[in-house]
Amino acid sequence: MDCRVINRRRHTGLQQLSSFAETGRTFLGPVKSSKFIIDEECHESVLISSTVRLLESLDLTSAVGQLLNEAIQAQNSTYRTGTSTLLFLVGAWSSAAEECLHLGVPMSLIASVMSEGLNSCIEEVESLQVPIHSVCDHIDSTETFSGLSVSLYPSLQIPSGTGLVQKEHDLKDVTSQSLAFCSLSGRPVKSPQLFRLQAKFEADENISRTPQTLKNNLLADTHCRKSVLTHSRHFSRTDRHWISKPRGFLEQLSAAAPKTYSCSNLAELEVGLSHGDPSSMRLVDEAVRLQHQNAGRQRGSHTGLFPFDISRIFTCCLPGLPDTLSCVCPGYITVVSMSTATLVKELQNQPVRVVLVEGDLTENYRHLGFNKPANIKTVSESVKVQQDSSEELWTDHVLQVLIKFNVNLVLARGNVSERLAEKCTDSKQLVIGSVQDSVLQAFAEASGAVQVAYLTHMNENCVGSGVSVTTWRSIPSDTIDGISRMAVVLKTEGINLVTVVLTSPVIAQMQTKEDRFWTCASRLYYALKEQKVFLGGGAVEILCLTHLQSLAGQSVNKGNQDCSGWLHNTSSWLASSAALYRPTVLKCLADGWHRYLSTLLRNTAVYSSDSEAATSIQCHLQNAADSGSPSSYILNEYSKLNSVILNLGISDKLEPIPRVYDVVTPKIEAWRRALDLVLLVLQTDNEIITGLAHTQKSSQESEGFLFL
Amino acid sequence: MSRLEAKKPSICRSDPLTGERARASLAALKGLVMSCYGPAGRLKQLHNGRGGSVVTTSQSAALLAGLPVSHPVLKVLTAAVRNHVACFSDGGLFTAILCCNLVENVQRLGLAPTTVIKLNKHLLSLCTSYLKSEGCACRIPVDFSSTQILLSLVRSILTSKPACMLIAKEVDHISTLILRAFLLTIPENAQEHIILGKSIIVPLKGQRVIDSAVLPGILIEVSEVQLMKILPIKKSDSFKVALFCVSLSGDLSDTGEGTLLVSYGVSLENAALDQLFNLGKQLVSDHVDLVLCQKVIHPSLKQFLRTHHVIAVDRIGVSLMEPLSKVTGTWPIGSLGSISPSSYGSVKDLCIAKFGCKHFFHLIPNKTTICSLLLCNRNDTAWDELKLTCQTALHALQLTIKDPYALLGGGCTETHLVAYIRHKTRNEPESVLRDERCSQTELQLITEAFCSALESLAGSLEHDGGEILTDSKYGHFWSVQANLPSAVNWPDLPSRCGCGLYSSQEELSWSFLRSARHPFPPQTCLSREATGSADTLTLDCFTAKLSGLQVAVETASLILDLSCVIEDTN
Repeated sequence: MDCRVINRRRHTGLQQLSSFAETGRTFLGPVKSSKFIIDEECHESVLISSTVRLLESLDLTSAVGQLLNEAIQAQNSTYRTGTSTLLFLVGAWSSAAEECLHLGVPMSLIASVMSEGLNSCIEEVESLQVPIHSVCDHIDSTETFSGLSVSLYPSLQIPSGTGLVQKEHDLKDVTSQSLAFCSLSGRPVKSPQLFRLQAKFEADENISRTPQTLKNNLLADTHCRKSVLTHSRHFSRTDRHWISKPRGFLEQLSAAAPKTYSCSNLAELEVGLSHGDPSSMRLVDEAVRLQHQNAGRQRGSHTGLFPFDISRIFTCCLPGLPDTLSCVCPGYITVVSMSTATLVKELQNQPVRVVLVEGDLTENYRHLGFNKPANIKTVSESVKVQQDSSEELWTDHVLQVLIKFNVNLVLARGNVSERLAEKCTDSKQLVIGSVQDSVLQAFAEASGAVQVAYLTHMNENCVGSGVSVTTWRSIPSDTIDGISRMAVVLKTEGINLVTVVLTSPVIAQMQTKEDRFWTCASRLYYALKEQKVFLGGGAVEILCLTHLQSLAGQSVNKGNQDCSGWLHNTSSWLASSAALYRPTVLKCLADGWHRYLSTLLRNTAVYSSDSEAATSIQCHLQNAADSGSPSSYILNEYSKLNSVILNLGISDKLEPIPRVYDVVTPKIEAWRRALDLVLLVLQTDNEIITGLAHTQKSSQESEGFLFL
Repeated sequence: MSRLEAKKPSICRSDPLTGERARASLAALKGLVMSCYGPAGRLKQLHNGRGGSVVTTSQSAALLAGLPVSHPVLKVLTAAVRNHVACFSDGGLFTAILCCNLVENVQRLGLAPTTVIKLNKHLLSLCTSYLKSEGCACRIPVDFSSTQILLSLVRSILTSKPACMLIAKEVDHISTLILRAFLLTIPENAQEHIILGKSIIVPLKGQRVIDSAVLPGILIEVSEVQLMKILPIKKSDSFKVALFCVSLSGDLSDTGEGTLLVSYGVSLENAALDQLFNLGKQLVSDHVDLVLCQKVIHPSLKQFLRTHHVIAVDRIGVSLMEPLSKVTGTWPIGSLGSISPSSYGSVKDLCIAKFGCKHFFHLIPNKTTICSLLLCNRNDTAWDELKLTCQTALHALQLTIKDPYALLGGGCTETHLVAYIRHKTRNEPESVLRDERCSQTELQLITEAFCSALESLAGSLEHDGGEILTDSKYGHFWSVQANLPSAVNWPDLPSRCGCGLYSSQEELSWSFLRSARHPFPPQTCLSREATGSADTLTLDCFTAKLSGLQVAVETASLILDLSCVIEDTN
């Protein structure tokens, strides 16, 4: 065993963290630039645009890399959102901690003051929480997500088939609007830029529109056409007003009293949480509405809280189909081989009886925990030679059982024996393998079926009924294996299951699309679950920044009660000399927020350089400090955005104004996780590598190692 | 073809301590454990260098468990410390540092090992008899009628492990939970012999620490899929329970060696399943409501039980078996044959609970001294550290019931002991010199080595370059910033000593910890008001620290006595 001393002044762990974090910088904010990751050895490449996928492709075998991966995986598995924030802040704060070390601040003080500072920020940003009041009460009566976004974000309503380049423009527009509170007050320069982008976009759209409308699309067509109309009516008007608005006008408005916010409309909430990804959010919206309708039907009336059950949403990815086919359907949509087409057609017009299998559907599958003894040999006593193999016997047995119980549909969680599937197709039984748990469960609830481990042990009670099987559409054959497939819809009356079909002509984008859908869905899920959201678009971070700066300015350490664990009631000299170092550490922590905000602004392409972004942030900080109450200043900025839009052209529509929202707990947890990781690495001074023989190291490598 | 190789002769090395390698290894180990000590201690990352999981810790239990040492002297030392930790949980680093210090200090003197061992033993008995005496001024009695001291003890243990990554609010929350969990394990009507129950720590990683909770009874984690299959629980006063420790998966686990011949058409699997169904029928006819199995239950048997309204939960794991059998009053059933009715037990209530993203089956027994501590932390590394720390704290509380005292922490006990020993050996050396037959100089040298080992131990609480002072009235530990101008009139002295008992308001005179100075008698007899006035004290577990002191001195004596190492190289 050996151990390596991590140098105190040049903390290698912190440096590693910063360099890891640097790779994910472009994923921050609503406009994400994708990355190609190329494997040098086998020349495979992946297109990624999220932190989690990025980490999957990085070499994280170092101890610090492992810890980073662990932190991000934990955030992702708990909340499915906030990982980019986490990664970025890890980088920003590890640089901040290193900076403090350079300035000679005792390590224990860095840890304790930073943790105290962040806690103070978390308390401070509570003022920017927006309660969600029974958004689901009017879920049927109010306009849908798409309707609202048409009128408010004219440029958003592109049909999803228009291609990648265009989409980026589209997203930039959303962002510039969503971040408008940052840019409105002092930067009229921005507007022409915005206009240019939008104009270009409009032209593009008109070109690509025509072939699209000619296609006979299932769902998207009518509302796409509508959106184009709305689009062209609002778009130029809003924008020109924006350009021509007088400067003084804005300042006059900024004097308005702070407004208390609440969000009581689901569509508004969704627009705010879409974070520049309206197409995914639209699918989430449809899924929520479907679930709600279903829940209403089940209970008879709309009573009380409607829980958005994310576990009963299922995604089905169909690469190779145009984007416009993305849709949300009740029931279960899955892909089956084309060879079952005739069977599906036959089953189409009748209620079908179903069995659910909770494992593989193969002869030698045994449930978990079953140990098959290896030393058993079957001997035949009679002279008659058995021709059939045991698999054939098993297949026949299964078929007999299925016929006996009149079952035409088998859903299995695991793999299905090919031979069995073939034979079943011949005898008019559709067998589908690799079905998710939640899907099986939904079918169990809706059809009355009971999941079984072995078909050969089933009885009448296990069979469910009333499932309908219909063809959804055929799918162009895969370029890889050339087998043509088709998608089928399976559903029963009142099934609590919604399938979101995600399509993309670009196969490499499929994964990204699915990830983005789930991110949007989880954001909405947590917002509804917690009944509150943050004002987004950088508002919370700005408040944290101003708060830390004012804390650093305070000479008295009144916020000392929240330092990490031990320092507040300790007698160590560190406690008494904390006041000396506090401003330095808090300033470094605040610099982390500053980097976060400026990267956010840079990534949205509103600002072309860091210095421009910094100026804008500085301007807000100054204003906030001058106003005396930073939180009411920020709230005011929000109402300003509100008034500006109301006075510019769409005043005839008295609809709620969209704001950017963000989820509360996932965001705060991402901050805490980021700081925890940085502090954990900061306080580590030795790396102990176990189980490595001395001989495996060259003398060069073993420099800086101690052996015990 | 088999090959025989002659055995290599064993290697014998004399004076294992004198070599350069031994000294370097000992110094490295000492540096490692010293830098971990205390609330400001530095953390260590343990990993295998090939992408295995990373442990970040500053606890001796985790550190030494993952630290394979090769040098025989270090092996003796780490084995002794690990043994101490296994018995007392707390005080591992204390033991390791003190032992390293003693070996190092005494080795420098070059005295005969026998004299050293004799005198160390004497000094140790001086310490232990003082610590156990009524007049001891560095221990306080624990008042079980209030939570103040117990909470302080728990809080001190929690804050001394920075890798738990807790903020003040979370420390308060977890301390309260630990204390509550401990109190739940004490039987209500205790007779002469109290048998404490058990607190089971249930992991819930990824959640906020503040979401941790204590629940009476036992939580069994079930997967969501499994949960869906559990029937809605009907209301009842009591549920009849059968607990199996044998696998009900229907496999033929023990077919022995050789090959088993089965004639065609006979299915052993079906035979085993039939046996399970017979068992199931018996359970149903005995009106069992709940079947728990340590291992796997065959899905078909589960289905059979479900149709007869019996709840079946499998894959409980071996760790829950003992508490389950205790709580429900069952005998774990180990055979598939017929079940004697006496093996059934009962529980008061059952429910299903969801915490975070996990689902639990919650068993509430009739009379309980068993509780579940649901422990949350953000990441795996911090959770593991927090779990170990909670176990240490719970153990410390149990030890405190036995010996209702706590030692002053924060370095004060060590500096106070040093003052006591110095004073004692200086002023009453006659008895020692007569009993142990050694010279005055030898006694002085060994005492100095012993005391400086303790002082250096207290000094290793400081990791950020501060200075340590001690006062000449109580002999307590005071921490100040380095490079202060004068030693007489400190401008911004710490307001309180290391343990928090005394404040600098009193007229005290200070001196540097490791500076030569005249021995003084530290004030013995702790005033009652003093312990009552301080609201938060830093406290250490009495039993664990006392044992740590003994283990450290005895191990050091053992190491110093080593004259030869014989190594079998085969």
